[in-house]
Amino acid sequence: MTHSVDSPPPDSAGSARRVFLKQLAAASGSLPLGKVLAGGTATALLLQSAEATAAPSAKPVINTVYGYASFGPDEAAFVEAMLNIMCPADAHTPNGVDCGLAIYIDRQLAGSFGQGARRYTAGPFLPGAVQCGPQLPLTPQQYFKAGVAEADRAAQRLHGELFDALTPPQGDAFLQQLAAGQVAGEQLDLAEWFNTLVYPLFTEACFADPLYGGNVGMVFWKMIGYPGLPATHALDVVNYLGKPYPGSATPKSIADFS
Amino acid sequence: MKQRASKTVVIVGGGLTAGLIARQLTAKGVEVLVLERGGDHSKGPESSLPNQRDELRWAVRQGLIQDWSRETYTLRHGQQQTALPIRWMESFLPGQGLGGAGNHWNGHLYRWAEYDPQLRSHYVRRYGKQAIPADMPLQDWGVSYAELEPYHDLFERLFGLSGKAGNIQGKVQPGGNPFEAPRRGDYPQPPLHVLESGLVFKQACDKLGYHAFPQAAANSSGAYTNPDGQKLGQCQYCGHCERFICEANAKGSPQILLYPMLRQRKGFEVRLNTQVLGLRYDAHGKRATAVHCLDLLTGEEYEQPAEVIVLAAFTMSNTQLLLHSKIGKPYDPVSQTGVVGKNFCYQVNAGVDLFFKDKWFNPFLASGSTQMVIDDFNNDNFDHTGLGFLGGATIQGWQFGGRPIKSRRVPDGTPRWGTAWKQANADWYAHSMSLGIEGSCYPHRGNYLSLDPTYRDVFGRPLIRMTFDFRANEQKMARFVSGKMMDIAQHCGADKVGSLQGLVTPFDSRIYQTSHIVGGTVMGEDPHTSVVSPHLQHWDAHNLFVVGASVYPHNSGYNPTGPLAALALRLGDDLLRYLQQPGRL
Repeated sequence: MTHSVDSPPPDSAGSARRVFLKQLAAASGSLPLGKVLAGGTATALLLQSAEATAAPSAKPVINTVYGYASFGPDEAAFVEAMLNIMCPADAHTPNGVDCGLAIYIDRQLAGSFGQGARRYTAGPFLPGAVQCGPQLPLTPQQYFKAGVAEADRAAQRLHGELFDALTPPQGDAFLQQLAAGQVAGEQLDLAEWFNTLVYPLFTEACFADPLYGGNVGMVFWKMIGYPGLPATHALDVVNYLGKPYPGSATPKSIADFS
Repeated sequence: MKQRASKTVVIVGGGLTAGLIARQLTAKGVEVLVLERGGDHSKGPESSLPNQRDELRWAVRQGLIQDWSRETYTLRHGQQQTALPIRWMESFLPGQGLGGAGNHWNGHLYRWAEYDPQLRSHYVRRYGKQAIPADMPLQDWGVSYAELEPYHDLFERLFGLSGKAGNIQGKVQPGGNPFEAPRRGDYPQPPLHVLESGLVFKQACDKLGYHAFPQAAANSSGAYTNPDGQKLGQCQYCGHCERFICEANAKGSPQILLYPMLRQRKGFEVRLNTQVLGLRYDAHGKRATAVHCLDLLTGEEYEQPAEVIVLAAFTMSNTQLLLHSKIGKPYDPVSQTGVVGKNFCYQVNAGVDLFFKDKWFNPFLASGSTQMVIDDFNNDNFDHTGLGFLGGATIQGWQFGGRPIKSRRVPDGTPRWGTAWKQANADWYAHSMSLGIEGSCYPHRGNYLSLDPTYRDVFGRPLIRMTFDFRANEQKMARFVSGKMMDIAQHCGADKVGSLQGLVTPFDSRIYQTSHIVGGTVMGEDPHTSVVSPHLQHWDAHNLFVVGASVYPHNSGYNPTGPLAALALRLGDDLLRYLQQPGRL
């Protein structure tokens, strides 16, 4: 902590949260992701989101915890670079990392999904029709990491650099080729890896409830006009038939009701 | 192995059909035990705000669906291939927990066509014997629609159906489905609201001379009290039906309308977290004597004897229990002998997306059944002379919810990420809708279920092996009805019409299509071609009964729930007769 912060007035929960966010903003410069956060828009976004939802709720904003549970530093560099290419900062949203997309994917891979919960894992593992789904003796987390390593080797082979060192246009072209099956992996089918594991995680990160760490500030919901909860629309369905729905501008997440 | 005290009727699987059978039996004081592998969802986060609205947890990660690490299926497209296990299934979704798939269904309900139970006779009568290909083992059910009609009527009142009748006692009703089987009266409740997507679809159908009607649904259009005094709330159009439990108690579901009532009745017991591993069979006495159970919480294994055993699990599990317990002769596609596993059918699907700059569809204001439908090209509602296929499909203009992970539409050619991808999502999310077809799937002699020789479930039993693909008949039908759908799409006035998302071949387990799989333990009048009799009584064990979509010898171009609910209610009444005088019904 490098900045001192005034104590909030004891009766003001909203102020307390803004203070907390300022603390976070100040602290983030020294965290492992400082490279991204320091120059990024995450803090601005968090502050903005806090302003938007400060009253009447006194709940903390979600996704205030930084640091990865499943990525090592090299994997984090790959994933962050990839997500900032797939989700560049633009008029719609901040960049992918600042939208919480890396946090989302990291947590999913560290949790029960990444550990292969509820998947059939008995052998033998044989090649066959793709319509049966992937036949690999790997958990989603192991598969994700193996694919990152393969893709990085391919980037080095094709460009002489690790993926995160590529310029954004180079990186984008590399991902396009990889998704289209034009980048060969040494052992893994990289297109299969990207299209069946990475891409679904990317869209989930964007559009799942912010409860899970992505979609910070519900930016993606605001972008498309999804109003979120509580969705009791028996009257709306009549009143807004064929008309814009005003609730789309101010979505609510599960955390807003928890 | 330890034996528990015998019960009068034991039902395997705690879903919709079990609840309906138990309703009929316990009303007359018959003792019923239901065995359910899952738990009770009725008080948890899956059935209350705010967590019920969690698309990731329930829809994407399949929180209410069968645990694939315990039991899954293997798949091959033909007998020459080696089947591989589906390690994570997307194409169809069996439920787990009290209420079964009746928890997470959308609620669409049809009675099927009047001729569906006599489909073979119907086609022979209309087109001649040669019209049915030699490799298509269509067969009559041995029961007529007229016999089932009172049970359809009862089920629709129990589940508070919302809809518009199209045929009351033979008289066609304007605004309803003119092709529907004759009903004694209108639905218990008026139809759900017609949304913008339905209006667009109906207008196009009107232009083309087709007969659009609102989907009949177990989504309650108002507050409703059923004949048992059980209550449904009004649908809130929250867009969280399929893959979700309705927290507003507005979706007709067994865990709202049946199990709470049954648990108050004397002689009714439901045992949760109880995996049924097999049946004990007395081949000489032709009786099933007991159910082999595993308590999933304690690990205790025991035998549960019963006077009557009913298999009321999901399609695949009913077939697996018979094959694994060696009751009935397994089907052999080469010699065309045996019955268990035959006539396994899926359902035909295709779709197209439509984009309108100036129309607001607000996709999140919807129920899982808000669609307008035409039946003009379904089943045999049109002349098949010279078409080279049998069967057909409904065509729908639908809007089931705007859940943002899985329910966004973007025009063809949209990049998969980046600013242009975001822009397309922002531009079209509220301004798009879809048309779809849902079609019949007739049996093929090479499509069947058997035990896998290699892969086993977590309990050590062989997995069920699907040998399945969409055959020429279904592919031709899909092309024909998809053409009609694309024609409607062109008449909707859209700014952009997406490309046809046609029937996916070969069959692909990685893509959700429908959960409407049928067959494997089919019903019929001939023990050489059916597993159970027209009264759902096993030909090789007179105290064993099987119910569910597994008894359908073919799949119609409709959702399967209507007839299986009617068959379950009738089975409840049949079992009362059986218990008075055990023997062949």
